[in-house]
Amino acid sequence: MIGRIKLAGLVAALLVIFLPSFTLAQDVNFSVSPAVVKIDNLPPGEAAEFELTIHNKEELARNFTIATFQPPEKERRKGRAEFPDDSWISFSSQEIEVAANSAANVTITVAIPREQKWAGEDWEIWMGVAAESSDLLAVRLDVRLLVSTNPAMESTSNAGLAVGIVVGIILFGCGGYYYFRRKVKPE
Amino acid sequence: MKAVITSIVAAIILALIFSLPALAQDSGTITITMTGVNDISISLDKTQWPLGNVASNTEYTTSPPIEWCTLTVEGNCNVNTFILGEDAKWVDNPGAYEWTLSNDGTNGENVYGLWFRISGDTSRGYVPITKTEGEFWPYDGGSSLAPGDTKQFGLKLLTPTYFVGGRQMQTQITISAVAA
Repeated sequence: MIGRIKLAGLVAALLVIFLPSFTLAQDVNFSVSPAVVKIDNLPPGEAAEFELTIHNKEELARNFTIATFQPPEKERRKGRAEFPDDSWISFSSQEIEVAANSAANVTITVAIPREQKWAGEDWEIWMGVAAESSDLLAVRLDVRLLVSTNPAMESTSNAGLAVGIVVGIILFGCGGYYYFRRKVKPE
Repeated sequence: MKAVITSIVAAIILALIFSLPALAQDSGTITITMTGVNDISISLDKTQWPLGNVASNTEYTTSPPIEWCTLTVEGNCNVNTFILGEDAKWVDNPGAYEWTLSNDGTNGENVYGLWFRISGDTSRGYVPITKTEGEFWPYDGGSSLAPGDTKQFGLKLLTPTYFVGGRQMQTQITISAVAA
């Protein structure tokens, strides 16, 4: 009985087609620039914007997808921590068609929530650009995004404002006091 | 009256002197640096391996075995490269049936193995392709790949010991690169 099952399995196996392909393209060739994006002094509550250029070097139009993902810890640059939340990064388009031998831009926005706990941080996240394909081999190019937030935005800003207001109040008070003193004084 | 106006104006000016620079810092000087090396690119001269019918528990290698496909670094920056596999899915109904990719290149019932070997990589020989991204060119043990570098490699498939026949299966291997 077991022998018959094995024989049936083998016959069935011979009917299987593995890794078929119906497309004509036999190679994959595209580039992404820049390869590394470094954003410094981004204050929590603010946003920064930049463009990625995808250059399709093939003779056929191609669709490209863009997505963020966390690199393994050992692949991150020294001193960089994991980017806290992928949703802080948005794309003008996560899928884009690029004509043959042409380039297209995707605008990327990095927005950090206005919370003191995100100040003074150094993060890294990767943005993977992949050519859509059903072929066996696919290529993905990863752009390093290095984000550093402003370490002392909140305290500096508040201290300056407070000093300005206090000086203003003192001077205004002095002026008022001097005016009223002169007013009540008989000429 | 003149003194009042003078003191109010002085107060406003002084308040502005202290607070404006602080307010200006709110909009900040955000620096975006597109680091010197600007263009990342790798190319493959082959992306398909049409195998046709396969038998269970059998090894298949590309022809030629380790010089089947050429990866070329096309950009202007050194790159670290990675390779990643996935489960093979039934083309007609991907959610209904699959072959699981093993994590060590071995096979089993509905479990298949995938391997790659780079020409010139004598220390590693055939390396399993798994669902966890692994190094393609071993930059930890050597250097990353530089613009103009080429690496030839081949693939090996080990089919499951048992699988449901008559079904067209499809999988994908992703080779990725990041600036070193």
